[in-house]
Formats: sequence, C-alpha cells, structure tokens
Amino acid sequence: MAEKNYYTIDPEGKLTCMKCGVPLIKGKARFMYLDNGFPVELPVCPVCGFVYVPEELALGKVASVERALEDK
Amino acid sequence: MSQIQERGSTHVYKVNKISKEEIESMVARCVYEHPPFCSAACPLKLDVRAFLEAAAAGNFKKALQLYEKAAAFPLVLAAGCEAPCEKRCRLAEIGDAVSIRAVEEAVARFGQAQKPGSVFRTRKKKTVAVFGSGLFALFLAGEIEKKAYPLTVLCEEADLEGFLRCETDFLDEDAFRAELKRLRGKDIQFVFGCTIDAAFFAEKRGAYDVVCASPAVRQRLFPEAASLPELMYCEEERLVSGPCTGVMDAAFGAKKAALTVDRLAQNLDPRNTRGQEGPVDSKLYTDLSAATALTKTPMPGAGYSREEAAAEAGRCIQCHCEECFKSCAYLAHYKKHPGLFAKEIYNNTQIIMGDHQLNKPMNSCALCGQCTVVCPNGVDMARVCLDARRNMVSTDKMPLAPHEFALLDMLFSNEEAFLSRPQPGFESCKYVFFPGCQASAIAPATVKAAYLDLCERLDGGVGLMLGCCGAIGDWAGRTELQEQTKILLDREFGKLGDPIVIAGCPTCKKELAGHEGLQIVGIWDILLKLGLPEGGHGLDRPAALHDSCGARGDESTRNAIRALAEKLGCVLVDTPYSGDRSPCCGYGGLSAYANREVAKELTEKCLARSDAPYISYCMACRDRFAREGRESKHILELLYGTDAGAPPDISEKRYNRLTLKKELLWELWQEETKEMKLDYALDYTGEARGMMDERMILTDDVIAVMDEVRKTGSCIFDEESGLYIACRRIGNATFWVKFSREGDAHYLVHRAWSHRMQVVKREG
Ligand code: SF4
Ligand code: SF4
Ligand code: SF4
Ligand SMILES: [Zn+2]
Repeated sequence: MAEKNYYTIDPEGKLTCMKCGVPLIKGKARFMYLDNGFPVELPVCPVCGFVYVPEELALGKVASVERALEDK
Repeated sequence: MSQIQERGSTHVYKVNKISKEEIESMVARCVYEHPPFCSAACPLKLDVRAFLEAAAAGNFKKALQLYEKAAAFPLVLAAGCEAPCEKRCRLAEIGDAVSIRAVEEAVARFGQAQKPGSVFRTRKKKTVAVFGSGLFALFLAGEIEKKAYPLTVLCEEADLEGFLRCETDFLDEDAFRAELKRLRGKDIQFVFGCTIDAAFFAEKRGAYDVVCASPAVRQRLFPEAASLPELMYCEEERLVSGPCTGVMDAAFGAKKAALTVDRLAQNLDPRNTRGQEGPVDSKLYTDLSAATALTKTPMPGAGYSREEAAAEAGRCIQCHCEECFKSCAYLAHYKKHPGLFAKEIYNNTQIIMGDHQLNKPMNSCALCGQCTVVCPNGVDMARVCLDARRNMVSTDKMPLAPHEFALLDMLFSNEEAFLSRPQPGFESCKYVFFPGCQASAIAPATVKAAYLDLCERLDGGVGLMLGCCGAIGDWAGRTELQEQTKILLDREFGKLGDPIVIAGCPTCKKELAGHEGLQIVGIWDILLKLGLPEGGHGLDRPAALHDSCGARGDESTRNAIRALAEKLGCVLVDTPYSGDRSPCCGYGGLSAYANREVAKELTEKCLARSDAPYISYCMACRDRFAREGRESKHILELLYGTDAGAPPDISEKRYNRLTLKKELLWELWQEETKEMKLDYALDYTGEARGMMDERMILTDDVIAVMDEVRKTGSCIFDEESGLYIACRRIGNATFWVKFSREGDAHYLVHRAWSHRMQVVKREG
C-alpha cells in the first residue's frame, strides 16, 4: 500500500543538482525525528539523492512538527 | 567540538523522581486562592469581593445576583445582618472598613431582581414541605426553591402577607413590599390557615419526601426532639429543623437545613460531604500600602443612594495576594498563581504518554528566586521548575532543542575557548581570576584590563581562567554536564595550586560555591580593598543600579557594588524592587532560549523601573539591557574606563572569546594559537547576519556547510533566485545556506536556515 504523503513539493524543473548536472524531480523522501517518521515528496536529485528542504518548509511545517514531537 | 546526544525516541516510559509531598507543601503555601477576610467571616459565604466590584461598577443586577446566592431574601438579610465581614475587612486596620452591609442594603433596594420564570429550570422529582412560618421557614423555603424541589409551605397565617410578616417587624414598609413581591415570584405552593397540631402533621407529612418545620412548630410538636445544629436535623423524627435566633442565624441555619434536605432527597446520609460550612480561616496576604480611600462614604438616614453605594463599594481594594505577579513578568505572562502553576508543572513531569504541555512554561522561568523573597510565604517557583527540568532530563523526556544552543555554548567556553594559566612568572598562584563566560563574550577588553590590573596590584600571583562556571548546565536541568564542568574546573584549580577564586560574576560566585574547599571572593571585594584602578569614572548622569539575580541572598556583594559605584562618583536613583527583590534580566534560567517573548518581558520589567541608564554587575544583564536600547554599563566597564560597545551577536560572542584567548596567550604567555584560515572568502549580507542571529545559526555552521560544498561540489542551483543552496548535517541539526558566487573562491551568504529533523530519500 502506498504511504500517505504529509507534504508535497514539485520543483517544476527550476532546481538543478550542480554535482550531477540534472534537474531535481519530485521524489519520495522521509523526515525522521526522535524515532518518528513522516513520508513526504520533495525535490530530489535522481542521481545522487540530494533532498532539498526549502526555507518555508523548514521554518513552517517542519518546525511545528518538531515542536510537537519534542513535547511528547 | 563535543556534541550533546539528542534523546533517542519519544517512546520512553519512565516516571518521576520529584516527591509529591514536597510539591504539595509548596502548593499549599500559596494563599492566592484563599478567600478575602470579609468573605471568610461570612457564614453565608457571600463573595464580598466580587459583590463590591460589581456594585462599584454600578452593576447592581450582578451584585444582587451574588447577594441572592447568599440569601433568598436580600432585604430581610440586609436589614438584620450583623455584618461579621466588616469586622474583618482589612481596611479597618488603617481606616474605616468598607460599609459592606449598607452597600448590600442599597443593592437589595436598587438591584433589579430576576424576573420569575426568566431562568428555565427543571423541577426535581422529590417533594418537600415546610410547616410553619418565621425567619427560618422563610429563608429555608427560599433555599429549597433555589434548588428546584417542588415545595409546599403549610402555615397558620391567612395569606402571603401574614406569612412574610412573621418575625420580620424590623423591615420598613418599602422593604416589606419589595420582599412580598419577590416571594410572590417564587415557585412555592402555599397552604394557608392550617392548624399545625400533631394530628394535622401526622396526616399531612406522608405526602412529602422530605419534611421541614419552623423552630416554633418543632418545639410545639416535638419538645423532646434534639436536633443537631450543624445538620439542622432531628434524626428520630426525620424532621429538618432546629433552633435559630436572629436573622443571620436563621439565614445560616436555612443554608445548612437546605443542604440536609438535598442529601435526604437523594437518600444520602446528611452528615457526609458537606464541605466547609460557615466562617472559615483565611491566610490571604494583602498589600495595604497602596490603599488610599480610608474614610467611609457618609450615609444619610435612608441608606445609600446608588451613587453613594457605588462609591463606598469602590473603596474596597479587592484583596488578592499577587506579590509574585506584580514582580515577576514570567508569572504575569502565564497568568497562573504558583499554587496552581506548581501543580500543573508537577503533573507535567508525571505524563508517561502524551503531550507535555507545560514543557515550555517550565523552561521559561528564569530560576531567579525573586518570587521566593517577595512572596509572604516563600513559595519557590525556581525550585519547582528546576526540579521539573531535572526530572524530565533524568527520565529522558526533556527536549534538547530549547537548551542545545546554550549547552553547546557552554561546551565551547570550556573547550575551544577555555584557558587556564598561572600568572607569567608563577608556577602556582594565590589567586585566579574567573571572569565568567559572558564577560569574555561581551566585554573581552574589560576582562583583559581587569586581569592585568589584578596581576599588577595583588601579591602572590593571579592566574586566569576563562570558561563557564557550569550554571548553564545547571539551569538546563542537566546535572551531568554541571558535574563534568565541576570536575574540569576543580582539576584546573588544582593545577594552579588551589588558588582563591576571584569571581567576576555573581552567578559564577554562587555556582562555584558548590565546589568543596574552594575559596571564592568577588572582584568587587578585591577592588574595594585595593582601591579604584586608574582610569575609571562614573556616569555623569544619575543611573539605576540593577541587582543581579545571582546576588540574591548575597547582601555583601550588593553592598560592595554600591560602595564601588559611590566611589566612582555615580549618583544612583531609587528603583522599586532593588536589592534582594530584584527581578531577572531574562538571561537567568535560560529563559531567553526557551521563550524569547517571556525573556523580553522580563527585561522590559527590569527597565520599566527607571528611565535612567542602568548599571549592572552581571554581563548578561548589561547585554540584555543594551539590546533593548538602554544605555547600559557593567560596573567593571566604569571601573576600567572601557566600553564594550554595541551588543555582539551570537557569532561575535564566540569570536570574542576565542580572540581574547588568542590575544592573551600571545601577549602574556607567548604562546601562538594555530590559526584556522579559510582558503576562500566568505561574506554575509546584512540580512543574512540578522537572520542567523535570530535563528541561532553561527558563522561556524555556515563555514562547515561551505567547506562541504568545496569538498564535494554538492549543492543545487535555484533558477528563481539565481542562488546556490547547500546543506550539511552538524550534530543534531541540518544547516542550509543560500549563497552566490562572487568570483573564484568567494561566496556571499544571502540566507540560512536549519531544522532538526533528518531527511532521507525513500525508495519506491
Ligand atoms: S505571592 Fe504569589 S506565590 Fe506567594 S502566596 Fe501570593 S500568590 Fe501565592
Ligand atoms: S477591602 Fe474589600 S476584599 Fe478586602 S477585606 Fe475589605 S471588603 Fe473584603
Ligand atoms: S522567573 Fe524568577 S520570580 Fe518568576 S517564577 Fe521564576 S524564579 Fe520566581
Ligand atoms: Zn545529484
């Protein structure tokens, strides 16, 4: 069964991996924190696997989930 | 550099070590919830404070509602009450007590009674009868009606007027008419013209579930029956009644009797769960110093007018204990009195599974101890919060995030930036100067000047130790880190020949006092003895002296600082909450790391005491005041004529410590420090620098990311902004840098952010 994604970002070809010289694509990734995991879809390099976490995501959703887990 | 291990999982199921008894005794000490003395003295438990507040605001309707809770016939009560409340009113100690009874009477006269039927009620099933008339029967009927029992009153009088006249001849005609109207509006069935004798009683009583009688009827029919005055109940006759004399006695008796009726109707023992009835003891503390209206509003013969009643009610100072709220911005922020707060924080430590909602509040307390000295009962929130933090750490439930930056900073102070040397030319020293981590971070030139002065003017050698005393580990509840620090420092003190420690910071002094066999003095004591160094001067304007929370309970330090300020020619202005009662600047207890908002409020509270420039003797205070834009000086800056200037950001604070160490090592001990030079140029936009300070991202973190980019070439290009983006996991966080290439081996940082979660690619 496919896992439900908590968050999805499509890079729409606007991001390029400089190491591999290819555009980042929407790919499957997972956030892990304090033994808890969340499947997401983020810009990923199809070659080296670099996963991009944009600033808005880091300071928004990610930060609030972190806060919530920290107080568990 | 060392890292701190993040807790592994949210799934840890350990419990606490805090003693419940200790928390309970702390909770019990807080008298916030005690009633004011006026209410405590009222057998009917009138909420006098709320009543007077409503009356003072001209809200007679609300005032009357409160008063009717105490007695169903307010004018009857007001006319005959002996007002024990007034005798206990705190204002009586310094002037006239509030004329509570006269206000009650006016409220009963002017207040708009609730229209009958305006409140929807479901009548209960069990039925109640009251035999007889008089004050007790009247009040009792009122109380039973309030409880919504279908009620029948069987009396000898011919009509309602006759019933109300019985024992109420003290009422004037207007009041009588008003109460008659009130009585008419009540949901009571009357049977008039009864001859209440034994036969009548025996015949009728069977029709009701609970039967009550006036004292006169009881006396006549059952002269032998004894009733328990606290229950108003004759058990053998199953009759609710009892002796009563006077209005207050009847009203109070009716309250007790109504409770007995209630319990009997539910087939419960009337003795049990009655709560505290009648007057109670209160230990409420009230600060009377601000009370001004000390003479009562004169009363014309006919009683107060609306305006007069409101004015008299307005004299009430609304007795509350709020000593701690008035002084502590943290408690004011959470609007919870310590009695409740301590309990909630304790409960927070007890949660095995689920959200620990009190984590943030518990970590926001400055642990400054101010509450303990201002509270009339010595309630100690610092103890509660620190114990809770330690407990959360020991059960592996404490989040590392709020304290990690500060803890890493402490490790930085005691690793990279640590320095311990005897005075040049000495092997062991009589003294060692321990300025404290914040002093080196904020005012390195001042530290240097002070050290050189001490070396010159003290005999026996003065070593230097730059590091953190361990208070940060203590505040975070991480006793292990505190202990490690202690071991490190003790070892270093040993190498220097166990010198007398000259502390530059009152918190260090306090923290180091926990080391066995260590002798500690403040630099202020030394300088008082040696006399002022050259080049020092006071401020040319009157200044406020802010006492450090580290000096709480340390009068000699506070006096020494004042003496130094005076010698410098400073003119000090008086501020409220100075000396032992001083508030915390917001740095204490790592408050600023866990809750910036509260920390800012703590700082503002300190600064609200005076418009003058501030002189402090803790570098963290100096820093926080300067950050708020206040002219702020550390006493050592004044003594040495140095100026630490604008407050440094978090990276500059590290840089300052390293640079001071490097400089002193070279100048005094001729030791060269290996420079870690970057082989590329790295610049920051102003925006990036501000953002990094705000987000607790160090230049060292950015450098680590850029090193990685240069090593691996791993980064991405963002078409939209035309910038490059790279990241690196460092310790427990991932740092991101958005930058441009300004040329060969030259980068300009535009933005930086971080997150603690780890992100990995997922297959499938
Ligand atoms: S000062 Fe604060 S802690 Fe102390 S009794 Fe009053 S409300 Fe409670
Ligand atoms: S001042 Fe007000 S609250 Fe205080 S004792 Fe008097 S009536 Fe009660
Ligand atoms: S911040 Fe200080 S005064 Fe306020 S509760 Fe904490 S220890 Fe008490
Ligand atoms: Zn790649």
